[in-house]
Amino acid sequence: MADSGASQPKPSSSVKLVLLGEAAVGKSSLVMRFVNNDFQENKEPTIGAAFLTQKCNLPTRTIKFEIWDTAGQERFASLAPMYYRNAQAALVVYDITKPSSLTKAQHWVAELQRQASPGIVIALVGNKYDLASPSGGDNAEDADAAPAAEGENPEEEDSADARRVPTKTAKAYADEESLLFFETSAKTGMNVAEVFTAIANAIPETSLKGPRGVGGQTNLNRQEDARVNLTGGRAEGPKEGCAC
Amino acid sequence: METLDGTEWDLLIVGTGLPQSLLALALSRSGKKILHIDQNDYYGGPEAAFSLQEVEEWGKGLADDPSSAPFSSISITKPEQVDPDEGPSLSFSRAYSLALCPQLIYARSTLLQHLVSSKVYRQLEFLAVGSFWVYSLGADETAGSPEALTPVGGRLLRVPNGREDVFQDQVLDFKAKRALMKFLRFIADYEEQPEVWEDHRNKPFPSFLTEQFKIPASLHAPLLALTLSPAVPAQTTTDHALPRIARHLRSIGFFGAGFGSVIPKWGGMSEITQVACRASAVGGGVYVLGKGLSTTLDGSINLDHQEGETPIYKVRLKDGELITTGQIVGDPSHPRLEDPAYCRSITVVSSTLDPLFPPIAEDAPSPACAVVIFPSGTLKLDTADGEAKVPPVYISVHNSDAGECPAGQSVLYASIALKGTAGFQYLKKSVEALLLSLDVTPSPTTLLSVQYEQQSRPSMQLLASETDEPTNNSSSSSMDLAFDDSVLDQVKGLWQEIMGEDAGKFLVFEDREANMTEDDE
Repeated sequence: MADSGASQPKPSSSVKLVLLGEAAVGKSSLVMRFVNNDFQENKEPTIGAAFLTQKCNLPTRTIKFEIWDTAGQERFASLAPMYYRNAQAALVVYDITKPSSLTKAQHWVAELQRQASPGIVIALVGNKYDLASPSGGDNAEDADAAPAAEGENPEEEDSADARRVPTKTAKAYADEESLLFFETSAKTGMNVAEVFTAIANAIPETSLKGPRGVGGQTNLNRQEDARVNLTGGRAEGPKEGCAC
Repeated sequence: METLDGTEWDLLIVGTGLPQSLLALALSRSGKKILHIDQNDYYGGPEAAFSLQEVEEWGKGLADDPSSAPFSSISITKPEQVDPDEGPSLSFSRAYSLALCPQLIYARSTLLQHLVSSKVYRQLEFLAVGSFWVYSLGADETAGSPEALTPVGGRLLRVPNGREDVFQDQVLDFKAKRALMKFLRFIADYEEQPEVWEDHRNKPFPSFLTEQFKIPASLHAPLLALTLSPAVPAQTTTDHALPRIARHLRSIGFFGAGFGSVIPKWGGMSEITQVACRASAVGGGVYVLGKGLSTTLDGSINLDHQEGETPIYKVRLKDGELITTGQIVGDPSHPRLEDPAYCRSITVVSSTLDPLFPPIAEDAPSPACAVVIFPSGTLKLDTADGEAKVPPVYISVHNSDAGECPAGQSVLYASIALKGTAGFQYLKKSVEALLLSLDVTPSPTTLLSVQYEQQSRPSMQLLASETDEPTNNSSSSSMDLAFDDSVLDQVKGLWQEIMGEDAGKFLVFEDREANMTEDDE
C-alpha cells in the first residue's frame, strides 16, 4: 500500500483536524473554500457532519488534512468530544459580526485545552471578513479603510461596518492563549489557505504520523514500527510451518 | 437545525457501546434518519476509555447513581508516595486512556474484515499482541527452560507459538512433544475429524486432552490458556475449547510473522465505537450525549405505540423530550440474575515491563500487548481453600505504545469470572505475582489501581419491533478477553431486520473521499 514511488518524494503525513464553532459562523464554507475553492451564498446548514480531506504542500513535506466538521449538530455539543479525540489540530471559528460567537469560540478553546490531546494546534479564526469591508455587500455606508488581515488597524468601531468583534480583541485573546489567529472570508477566499498552511507549519514534526498503513519504509520510529497493516492479511491462511 | 422532538426519526439507537456503534456504522449509508443517544456524557458505554480525571468522575457518578450501569463496587486507589518529588509518579490526566474493554481481536475476526470493507480502518491504528505467558508454580516440569522468566515465587512460561516452537523446545521430553504435536496437527482441521472429539463435546477439555492425546497434565495449562476461557478447567468443555484454540493458532501469521491478534491503539474497543459513531455522524446520524430513555419503575421503556401503515413509537427521554421514531434499538435496561458478574482491575505501573515483550519475529511489528494467564489453582489466598475451583485470572498488559499511558509505564488489565471480595483479592494477588516474577530494575511501583465489578447484560435488541419479541437472548460479551464475532452477527441480524429487503452488503462501503483512495491504494 506504499505511496507509489518517485512522484512523491516528500514525506506525507495525515493530520486530523476538527472544526468547532457556533452554528452559522461559516465552518463548512471555510472548508469548502479550502478543499474545493468554492463558495455558496446562503448555504443551508450542513446536514449531518462532513468528513473531507485536502492536502497542503509545504516545502519539506506534504500534510494531508482529515477535516471533521461538526456542522449542523452544534446544539447537541455531542460530536465534538468524539471529533477532537486524538486530533492534532483544531480550527475554532467565530463570526466577526457576532460577538456571542467569539464567546462560544472561547468556550471551545477552553474545552480543547482541558480535554483534547496535549499539544493540539489551535487556530482561532474570525470569519466573514467580507462583511466588514466597505465593498463587502451589506454596508452601504463608507468605512474609511479596509483593515489589514492581521489587525494592523485596530480602530474599527465604525458603526456602518457589520463588524462587531474588533480584530485587536480577538487577537489579544489569541495571543494570550497561544493560538494561531486569522480573520478570513470564505466568500472571497481571503486568508483561507493561509490558515491551513499556518496550522500545517505549526504541527510539531514529532507528532506527525506517516501515511496510514505504510510499512517497511525508512526512518521508522518505534510507533511506526508497531503499527499493523490490516489490509496486509493473507487471503489464504498461513500454512503454519510444519517442522516435522 | 433539526430538533429532537420535531423530527420523525426512522431509528432511535440507545447507548454508544460497541454493538450499537457498529449498527450505526452499518446504517450510516442507509439514508435513514437516525438519532443515537447515550445517557452518559461520554461515548462507548461499557467499552469506554477514560483519562485519570474521567475515571474518577466515572467512579463518583456510579457511586451517586448505582442503578443504571453494569458496573459496581468501584474503588480507585493511588498508593501514597513517600516523597512526591522522588520516584515514579502518575503523569497528567490526559496522558492516560484507560480502557474498560481492552479486548484483543484475532486476525481472522470478521470485525477486522468489516472495519476494512467499511473503510473506517483508516481512522484506526492496530498494534500487535505479542507473547502469551502462563504463570506456573511448579519447579518440576520445565525448570531451567530458557523461555522461563526469573523464578521468584511462580514463573512465567511463554506459550509456544505453534508447532515449530514446540519442536524446537529444549525442555519437553520426546513423548510429551509428540503428543503435543499430534494435538496441534489435529486442531488444524478438527472440524473434519468429529470422530476424535464428538464424544467429548460436553465433557471437560482436560480429560479430552488426556484420553485422546495422552497430553501430560503439566501441558494442559498452556492449552487451556489459549482458550481464554473464563471458567475453571472442569467447566471448560471440549466444544468450547477447540474452536478457540483453533482461532488462536490459525490467526498466527495472518498479518505478519509470529502474532495472531491485535489491539486498537488509544483505549481498546472505545476507539472502534468512536470511529463507528463518527462515520455514522458523517452519514447524517444525529448524536446526543447525556440523554437516556425514560423508563418505568420496572425498567421497561415508556412506549406510546400508534398503529398506522408503519408503526410509530413515541418515547420520552429522561429530560421529558418526546421522540417520535419508527424503530428503537438498545440494551434491555434491567440485568438478569443469571448473567454472570466479573471482577476487573486496571493497574498502572511505573515500568515498561520489557521482559513481557520480547520481539515477536524478524520484520514483525513490535508488540504492544502481552497476555498473562494465571491458571486455576496457581493463586492462593491466605484465607481460602479449594483453589482449584477458582477461575483463572487473565491479565492483558499494554505498554505505552498502546497509547493508554505515558512512556515508561504500563497498564495491566486483569479479570476473573468471580465476584465479590475474593475476586478482587485474586486480582490483586495476580498483579503482585506478575510483577514479582519479572526481573526488572527499578522494580515496578503501582501508581494507580482501579477495581470494579461488571455484570454481563443481555445484548442489544430491537426494543420495539412488530413482533415485540426479543430478537436474541444472548449476553453481551464485552467481558471476553478477545472480541467475540457473535457480537457482529447480532449487529448484522438487527441491521437486516431494520433494512429489510434493501439491505445490500453488510458493512461494505466505498471511500467517501475520492482522493483518499488514490493516495493510499
